[in-house]
Amino acid sequence: MKMEDMPLSGPDNTRLEAMVHDIYSELVEDACLGLCFEVHRAVKQGYFFLDETDQESMKEFEIVDQPGVDIFGQVYNQWKNKECECPNCKRLIAASRFAPHLEKCLGMGRNSSRIANRRLASNNNMSKSESDQEDNDDLNDNDWSYGAEKKSKKRKSDKNQNSPRRSKSLKHKNGELGGSVSSEPYKYNYNTGISYETLGPDEVRSLLTTQCGVISEHTKKMCTRSQRCPQHTDEQRRAVRVFLLGPSAPSLPDADAVVESDSFDIPDGQTLMSRLQWEDSPDISPTDSASSKASTNHSDSRKPKKKKRTSLGLNSAGGGGGVGGSGCLTGGSVGVGGSSSSSSQSNISLSTKKKRPKLSAPSISSIYDDLN
Amino acid sequence: MSKDSQMRAAINQKLIEMGERERLKELLRAKLVECGWKDQLKAHCKDVIREKGLEHVTVEDLVTEVTPKGRALVPDSVKKELLQRIRAFLAQHATL
Repeated sequence: MKMEDMPLSGPDNTRLEAMVHDIYSELVEDACLGLCFEVHRAVKQGYFFLDETDQESMKEFEIVDQPGVDIFGQVYNQWKNKECECPNCKRLIAASRFAPHLEKCLGMGRNSSRIANRRLASNNNMSKSESDQEDNDDLNDNDWSYGAEKKSKKRKSDKNQNSPRRSKSLKHKNGELGGSVSSEPYKYNYNTGISYETLGPDEVRSLLTTQCGVISEHTKKMCTRSQRCPQHTDEQRRAVRVFLLGPSAPSLPDADAVVESDSFDIPDGQTLMSRLQWEDSPDISPTDSASSKASTNHSDSRKPKKKKRTSLGLNSAGGGGGVGGSGCLTGGSVGVGGSSSSSSQSNISLSTKKKRPKLSAPSISSIYDDLN
Repeated sequence: MSKDSQMRAAINQKLIEMGERERLKELLRAKLVECGWKDQLKAHCKDVIREKGLEHVTVEDLVTEVTPKGRALVPDSVKKELLQRIRAFLAQHATL
């Protein structure tokens, strides 16, 4: 039977309406059945009651809504104390410092790659020498960034040696070292300068052989920088020496005078050696190398010093142009020259420094006594 | 009455053939979810299941428990809309 034949009017209207309702209820039952299947399946699979838990755990895992804590009730800036282990050097780094450290450690970034390149370049020279034992150790430890940084610092100091700050720090170290190593009474406050009135003639003399010594107009203190300090002129220095030591005093003692060489020969030779092997430039003045080394190496242990001492003579002979004479003899002669009058002392002083006159300290003091 | 049942069969076939039945079913389901009918019935299902025990629930139990309630809970607006669409369909195809 076709639908076109169906009479839709008259009493059939009610029949039709009944059929519409039947269809509707069928649809609703379908929906119910679908829901029943869904629920039944959920029950049998065990996930029907998953969305509700018991009251205790609901309370336990309640969302916390308080200032200063996250939704789990934890303080949320805990990460500040976290530390990460560097995969390269195995050290523990604070999380906030990890990225910069990694950059340096792995040699990424502009500066670090420079350091790394320098390191590589210097490695080739260094491999021949046995003196840089620490650096070799660093190499073996795969902790090369640290060594590179150290090296770069040394280099920097080499380059900046003429700045007033450098020479000031040199004085500082100079004083400490001199006090401990030699018998010279270096116990002044080098930060504020020295008031010359309180010093004895011996002290004034020894000071003037090592320092600029120009007396300030305002503070009436002596300048404690090196004899090449850029703040004062040679004329000023000369005037001070004439004023303090009399007209017979040395016009301008050389920078590499006795006291300094006496207390500083060891680091001096070290610098010179390292300088030689790093830069192949033996023509650098010994004072400069002394200044750079004094700040970087003053805390070195005794052991490497001894080691270097043995090879020192060799090295200095090559670098210093081979000025002969035993350590004791040259030390004595320099002592005389430094305190009396010498402007042609500089070329000798290079070698005497490296000859490191061990006996020069007593001999110098005796010379001073003689002079007075 | 055979004429009536014949007519029913014809109409059902037409509904399925034209895909109207599927469309109506989908519409009804969407409407029922929208108005919260499904959630109400689910809550009722939970009660039934707790009563019977999780292990002993059958589909028949659920159907017999849920269907009367489901039928009663359908909102009037949804019911009216659905009836309207069915009627329109029949009118459209009866005149062909």
